[in-house]
Amino acid sequence: MKDFEALKNIWQDQIALPKVSHDDVLKKVRKTRNGLTSRLLIEITGMSILAGIITWVWIESPFKMWTTHLAMIIIILCCFYYIISVIGNYRSLNSNHLLDKPEDYIIHLKRYKQERYIFNTRKYRIYSLFFTAGFLLYFIEISYMASFITTLIGFIFTFLWIGFCYFVLMRIYIRKEEAKLEDMISNLERLHKQFEDNEF
Amino acid sequence: MDKEALFKEIFQANSKKIYHLCYGYTGDDETANDLMQETFMKVWQNLEKFRNQALISTWIYRIAVNTCLSHLRVEKRQAKDELTDNIIETRGEEVSEKNEQVSTLYKCIAQLEENERIIITMVLDELPYTEIAEIAGISEGNLRVKIHRIKQKLTELYNRHERF
Repeated sequence: MKDFEALKNIWQDQIALPKVSHDDVLKKVRKTRNGLTSRLLIEITGMSILAGIITWVWIESPFKMWTTHLAMIIIILCCFYYIISVIGNYRSLNSNHLLDKPEDYIIHLKRYKQERYIFNTRKYRIYSLFFTAGFLLYFIEISYMASFITTLIGFIFTFLWIGFCYFVLMRIYIRKEEAKLEDMISNLERLHKQFEDNEF
Repeated sequence: MDKEALFKEIFQANSKKIYHLCYGYTGDDETANDLMQETFMKVWQNLEKFRNQALISTWIYRIAVNTCLSHLRVEKRQAKDELTDNIIETRGEEVSEKNEQVSTLYKCIAQLEENERIIITMVLDELPYTEIAEIAGISEGNLRVKIHRIKQKLTELYNRHERF
């Protein structure tokens, strides 16, 4: 039979040591920072180039119908929405809640996970709908300019792809995200209860 | 003192205890190293804010606790059953017995609730109660009651383990 003091002695006699040095930490900091910044930069640059090309096409092409102009505005706005979302994500990732009380930190984590879920599902759905609407409007003028077959092929391929992303890929993704989130939230709720400062 | 030298000093003074906290929380050596590394990466990123703090260890512990909490294990049961035997290297019978005892102790800690694991590792590392209360964000009165219960629970678990 051992009492708590004996357990404390066992604990203090252990020679379990971390396998990470302060140099390893600093190396990882530099690597992660560079990785994160460059990934963000690639995403933002890619989307900015796309928005630039669309704007250039819009200015240079002699579009006559108002539907095409509206399509261009919608698609460019979608690009900007994406850029703003990426920056917003980056900022919320770096917001400082680490020094919050564990109870408050768990609340923050719960909120963050839910926001991410909404972003990846509901907001993505609206984003795809607008993108689809933009393409639909764009194809109205194209159907007048190009041959019927060209228009039809372009139309079919574009909307098959959008449909596949929306009805197949996104549904699988949402189902997985939902299961993951449910698990996370129940874990966070359990943790939250543990840290509630209830006097006995 | 430049930032790197200060960081090195802070790391050397706190890394072992933070590692114990992470190990006690996860029950897994590799994950504990990852969480400790993550904790100190955050410490580095926030070092400017700490410069004038009297008790920097409190803030580091707070970051470590929050980092551990955000590490939500899906395979919760697995970690408890697969507690590694590599806690310390075997060097003769005496060390082997100690090794066994430490391993059993970690196994018992792994059976506690998450907040209990966090609190008890700090108690075992002899942190003052005021500091533990500050880190866990609970009142000292409440903490004392909790500690009393956790001590009893852990001792019971350990003795039960030793009997079988």
